[in-house]
Amino acid sequence: MVPSALRIRGLRKAFPKVVAVDGVDLDVARGEVFGLLGPNGAGKTTTLEIIEGITRADSGDIEILGLTWAEHGREIRARIGVQLQSTSLFNKITPWEALELYGAYYPKSRSAADLLALVKLEEKADAYHITLSGGQQQRLALALALVNDPELVFLDEPTTGLDPQARRSLWDVVRRMKGEGRTVVLTTHYMDEAEALCDRLAIMDHGQVIATGTPASLIADLAIPSVVELTFEGAAPDPAAFAAKLDQAVERRLDLWEIPTPDPKALLPRLLEAAEAAAVPFQQVHVRRATLEDVFLHRTGRSLRE
Amino acid sequence: MVRVQSPAPSPADAALDQALADLQLKVLTLPKAEAEARWSKGETAAQLEPSEGSGYRLRLNSYLMAQAGATAGLVNQAWLVAQARLSGAPEPGRIPVQVESPGHKRSTNYASFLLPGLLGLNLVSMGLFSVGMVNVSYREKGKFRRLAVTPLPKWVFLLGQVLHRLTVTVIQAAILILVGRLAFGIQNQGSFLDLLVIMTLGTGCFMAFGFALSGFAETSEGYAAISNLVFFPLMLLSGVYFTLDAAPAWLQHAVAVMPLAPFLRALRAVFNDGGSLAGHGLGLAIVAAWGFAAFLLAVRRFRWA
Repeated sequence: MVPSALRIRGLRKAFPKVVAVDGVDLDVARGEVFGLLGPNGAGKTTTLEIIEGITRADSGDIEILGLTWAEHGREIRARIGVQLQSTSLFNKITPWEALELYGAYYPKSRSAADLLALVKLEEKADAYHITLSGGQQQRLALALALVNDPELVFLDEPTTGLDPQARRSLWDVVRRMKGEGRTVVLTTHYMDEAEALCDRLAIMDHGQVIATGTPASLIADLAIPSVVELTFEGAAPDPAAFAAKLDQAVERRLDLWEIPTPDPKALLPRLLEAAEAAAVPFQQVHVRRATLEDVFLHRTGRSLRE
Repeated sequence: MVRVQSPAPSPADAALDQALADLQLKVLTLPKAEAEARWSKGETAAQLEPSEGSGYRLRLNSYLMAQAGATAGLVNQAWLVAQARLSGAPEPGRIPVQVESPGHKRSTNYASFLLPGLLGLNLVSMGLFSVGMVNVSYREKGKFRRLAVTPLPKWVFLLGQVLHRLTVTVIQAAILILVGRLAFGIQNQGSFLDLLVIMTLGTGCFMAFGFALSGFAETSEGYAAISNLVFFPLMLLSGVYFTLDAAPAWLQHAVAVMPLAPFLRALRAVFNDGGSLAGHGLGLAIVAAWGFAAFLLAVRRFRWA
């Protein structure tokens, strides 16, 4: 039987002031795109860096492609590709040189020309690294992660800080990796990215995995496929009295109320009637499908963006 | 030497001046006030002035004893010659004096003593400051983190760095030697092959030193403190600027087993005296041992991030 891409049990890492990873179990199958979704400080990057062999765990077992760091360190490094959260290259190295250089560290490597074409950096092949835009540097980092034709690729927040167009083009590259049969493990704090790219997800918070599954199943498990939003001009008022009258949970966000419901069609007339009776000064009503954001909110009581 | 003018020159004064001129001593004759002013500025090595009783007095500058001491010998010789001439006695004979470096070749001035010292100092400062400091600051900026996830072994990375600096340093040394030759007429008295061997060994040693030290500092600031702690004793005690002949014996022994002193000794033996490396096996072995130990320590202490 082919060993799974990644198998992690009981991973723990404490820093002097915080327990960054607190008993994480993960299983990633070959060929899937697996996402670690969570807010900043949830322990995603530490988890990834332990798996990549940069940080040492306090305890726990890691099997990568059926191999362990203690016995097969060099083989693991040769078979995985890594994009760090920030890749700091020398200012005056060019993408072409960087790909040739890093390729030389591996037993087998892909041609720099192919990789540049893959991430659409051909016209910047001979530009100094420092002159590249953030998106271009990130695409180069992605190309570097593929330089050794890896079976398993780790991407740490690949689109953070990029404009929407650059994000889309990075997503295409990730999808192409999957198309080539590679396993991809990525971290993100964007729910839309997780929904768009990942076959399966682990949602992390405070160093622990609080839910695992496909994006669709995670949302379905909420049993509240829809959310009705009332938006206000300025800060939203306290919904406690209104919620009691409506006999329905109402979450107050910055400038809106969120009312999760399995049946928006039945709720809406009741809601509008009650709002009118109570003279709630709302501006607009939206009905939307539940998202991973709601899953996170439901499990932790906090927003991903907080 | 400065000669203070006598208020009323006598035949004895004239005879002494003549004898000094015959011995080819450079004499600057000044009025008393001017001579004193020059003396207080510290520019005069020796000053001959008229005095009551014996007739003359010679003041020597304690900071410039090498020059002043030689002058004193010549002045006394001139004095004896002048006395003999005045009394019609036969002139006293002289023991011929010749100044040489131990290898009996021509390079005798301070510049040619200094040049190998500067070559050595260049290696040490390049190793400790350029290599070590750059290493720490690259690590601080995370420039090595991406390398940490490749199969590249640390020792290969470090050896590559050492070889890279070695190439640069050999080119630097070649430029320094060329400038020494064109501007100061300092010639390499030995074989260039021997020179290359010594320089290669020394460079490897001091580059490895820098990498080893950089493994002990978390930050650039910390590294600056650590490297200076090593650099100053090494520079001051290893005969870069002056020989250590006057230092206590225990200090000379201690310095002899540090890497810089044996390196400079071998370098001067070749460069200044045209000697061969044969007699410096032990010294070169000490340098190589330090370099090897430093490299092992560097590999052990090296961290990518």
